Amino acid sequence: MGNSISKVMVKMFGYREMKILMLGLDNAGKTTILYKLKLNKIKTSAPTVGFNVETVSFRNVKFNMWDVGGQDRLRPLWRHYFPATTALIFVLDSQDTERLNEAKEELYSIISDKEMEDVVLLVLANKQDLKGAMSPQKISDFLELKDHLNNQLWCVIGSNALTGQGLVEGLSWITNNTNAKDKK
Amino acid sequence: MSQGIYLTDQPVRRPQPAGNSLVRKIQRACRLTLAEPDLGLNLDVADFVNAKQGAAPREAAISIVKLINSRDTHTAVFALALLDVLVKNCGYPFHLQISRKEFLNELVKRFPERPPLRFTKVQRLVLTAIEEWYQTICKHAAYKEDLAYIRDMHRLLKYKGYIFPKIKEEDLSVLRPGDHLKTPSEIQKEQEIAQAAKLEELIRRGRPEDLKEANKLMKVMAGFKEDNAIKSKQLINDELFKLKRKADLFKDMLSTSESPNMENETLVELYSALKVSQPKFQKIIEEEHDDDNLVQDILQFNDTVNQLVQKYNLLKTGNAGEAANIQVQNLSAAAPAGQSGGALANELNLIDFGDDDEPASSPVPAGTSGNSVDDLLGDLNNLSFSQPAQNFGLGGSIALGSAQPTTQTTTPSIGLDLLSGFSDTASSTPPPPPPRQEPFGTSPSAFGDFSDALSAPKISRVKVFDSEHLKIEFEITRQTESSIKMSSFFSNAGTAPISDLTFMVAVPKSMTLRLDPQSGNFIPAGMNDGVTQFGSIENAYQNAGKPLKVKWKATYTVNATPVEETSVFTFPQI
Repeated sequence: MGNSISKVMVKMFGYREMKILMLGLDNAGKTTILYKLKLNKIKTSAPTVGFNVETVSFRNVKFNMWDVGGQDRLRPLWRHYFPATTALIFVLDSQDTERLNEAKEELYSIISDKEMEDVVLLVLANKQDLKGAMSPQKISDFLELKDHLNNQLWCVIGSNALTGQGLVEGLSWITNNTNAKDKK
Repeated sequence: MSQGIYLTDQPVRRPQPAGNSLVRKIQRACRLTLAEPDLGLNLDVADFVNAKQGAAPREAAISIVKLINSRDTHTAVFALALLDVLVKNCGYPFHLQISRKEFLNELVKRFPERPPLRFTKVQRLVLTAIEEWYQTICKHAAYKEDLAYIRDMHRLLKYKGYIFPKIKEEDLSVLRPGDHLKTPSEIQKEQEIAQAAKLEELIRRGRPEDLKEANKLMKVMAGFKEDNAIKSKQLINDELFKLKRKADLFKDMLSTSESPNMENETLVELYSALKVSQPKFQKIIEEEHDDDNLVQDILQFNDTVNQLVQKYNLLKTGNAGEAANIQVQNLSAAAPAGQSGGALANELNLIDFGDDDEPASSPVPAGTSGNSVDDLLGDLNNLSFSQPAQNFGLGGSIALGSAQPTTQTTTPSIGLDLLSGFSDTASSTPPPPPPRQEPFGTSPSAFGDFSDALSAPKISRVKVFDSEHLKIEFEITRQTESSIKMSSFFSNAGTAPISDLTFMVAVPKSMTLRLDPQSGNFIPAGMNDGVTQFGSIENAYQNAGKPLKVKWKATYTVNATPVEETSVFTFPQI
């Protein structure tokens, strides 16, 4: 029943619901981004042990955003959150150049999972406000997504969770690109 | 910002949904063209689910229950056979799926509000399955709190007037927990699988209370809480304690009389339990070498076991005098104090090794789960399921309201099932009078007994397989034009005991295989014909042209390492 109603909604208003998974190394800013989008407030948070989930409505899409803690010990558990994900937001700390390689490895291990094959990938190069932050273009080059991803849609956007810069762009990119995918 | 839409050299193709191959496998195992449930195909599905984990158990459960509800009895019976195999082979992740309210409601979708005068074959099988789960996994499993809905469904059906068939003891024993000593790493692995399954299920449900649970569980899984380590230690201690009780009992039995009956089943079983756990001692010591108390404890215990084994062997060779010289001290006096309550209650029942029906005798969980602080899944569960009373009512209205129109077909289909059951099996032998329990799906073994009685005189023994440990032999006799009786004998050619022996056979599709349960799964070192198994193959005609080939697979544990052997065996002309 509920299913058919939502199908009608989709047809009439383009109303949709999707699951978004937000991952990344610890201290990249995932939880801050989540609450900036949800409450439009900066919530200082302790390192996430476990996960947070919130729904964010944007245009006519309801995003179920899952933010899973990024500490090493939690990373093996990420895969349990993969099923039914529409889009992956991978958050990077653009200033933390030392751990960029580590982040790259984690990213590739996520998107090589079979369950994540059909997911659209948005990389947020976060903390653009900090001095010495790498530009989105540089990060994009570093990640070499162009060479490795043939079938997946992806995009790197610079962001600043404190001001909210880049976040809405990111969501609208996801909305547009998953729309296109549904029509296919 | 670049995007990745461009044509590559590869052809453009829609990626296959992940579940596809699983669904295909399930459909293959249940397709109409099979003459009877194919154990090979069913086990294939089980292996696949075990290897995949993740969403696989859930998908499997959903597709199987769909097939069970299909209009076609044949398919439904196959699907139920497959379900049975998965329940027995896929462990907690699958048990969690069959205990979901939605699944159980689907399972009884075709049950009318009031029980019909006669059950259809499918209904009977469904009732059998639920009764079997109710008597096994709902009672003994360490995570039985997670399976509360099965209990609720059982109660609901009973309340509505449905009568559950009686389950044979052999069928129940398969789902009982193995009474084995496990090493810390084994326990940890089991825990990981169970917790991962639970986490994914909670995330899937996604209700606020589930998410709270999931968050807690994640902390535990990531090692932010010590629960896992404590729990596994507790498990080892419990198992060790039980083993010590067994050692004491063994000692008492050996010393009560000058010449104890060495063939005594209990004695042999005790002996094998002790012998099998010895290699495990070594592994536990390797893994837990920084826990001095535990290591000391195990070393001491190991010495005692060695003495007991020596004594047993001396007595066996008739050397009673020397045996009497070996004095073994009592062990359980030194047992950890905290457990005495539960253990004492179990003491009398130990002699049964959990073969008993009563929950009191079922190992650890019954005795200790109530007070063990770390019974994590249990704790979680209290929060994750809402009040049972409400669920109970809910289940009823959803489950039993919508399925009236099946009643009228009941009687004819029973008749057909009975006939078809026999026409497969008995082409030239007269069908045996239907035994009382036949309606509950036990006809195979009843028929097996029947053919045993007709044993033909011409017996030839053939070697099927021979390795340094295990030797398998068949005795093959032709019963009739079309049926062959097959007896398998398993011997231990090596010096280490073989345990956990399971043997499986698959025959060509045109034929029908009936296998009785194995006589046991343990073979002491050097024992000839330690385990036997009888069975028969139907539809195997005498002059069929090409020789009959069967595929077999044997798995067993020797020296604490699991071994798997598989091959094809060609029957001699008979």
